[in-house]
Amino acid sequence: MPDETPAAPQQQAPPAHSSHPAGPRPSGPGGARPGGPRRGKRNFVRKKKVCRFCVEKIDLIDYKKPEILQPFVQERGKILPRRMTGTCARHQRWLTVAIKRAQNIALLPFASEL
Amino acid sequence: MEDRLYDLIFICRPDTPEAEIDKLIATLQHSVDEKQAKLEKIEKWGVRRLAYRVHKLRDGFFVYMLLRSSHGELLKELERRLHVSDAVIKYMTIRLDQEIKRQQKLSKRRERRAARRPRKTATPAATPAPEQAAANG
Repeated sequence: MPDETPAAPQQQAPPAHSSHPAGPRPSGPGGARPGGPRRGKRNFVRKKKVCRFCVEKIDLIDYKKPEILQPFVQERGKILPRRMTGTCARHQRWLTVAIKRAQNIALLPFASEL
Repeated sequence: MEDRLYDLIFICRPDTPEAEIDKLIATLQHSVDEKQAKLEKIEKWGVRRLAYRVHKLRDGFFVYMLLRSSHGELLKELERRLHVSDAVIKYMTIRLDQEIKRQQKLSKRRERRAARRPRKTATPAATPAPEQAAANG
């Protein structure tokens, strides 16, 4: 349940630009941090990543379709970590197995040559 | 023993004539029949690009089979045949039934949860009553 309440209406500064926070922001979703040490730096709210397989309700990751697995592999063939893709732990476990199977049958590269 | 489900994929040289591949499939089919197993699906994916070079080849003719068997030795036999064959450059067998079972279990659980959910959201959230504070003050 992502409770993301936009803090824009409380701001009384220029109403046109709410997408680009340049100045000091009102205390955002972080909570009670008045001013704070991060005042001068660019402060952006990271969007919560969701597991794609959970969203699409895929319980069986098919190793025979490399186009499904491709976005979870780096350019040179490394498996991307969970923190990059937002995959949940359970699906990441199955995903790695599927990728490794696809590698074994030459559908995905172990390491792409340059 | 319960039947098991297997995936069998093998890759032939891209320049092998189609007739030879058909012959190979027929021999596999024969040994599958011998063990009273069932060949549920055969798909010829055709010539595809390989992700890396195998036997100095960049392309390969993929054949995919799905088979149901209760004999482990059958897979051994099939793999031996593929290993001996000159046209085949790569093969892989994977046991699938456990994963499919797990998937069914999960999707069933999801359905059950989805059926339960509407009732849960219908109940309004309990509001905290400030009676205590009012009594003290």
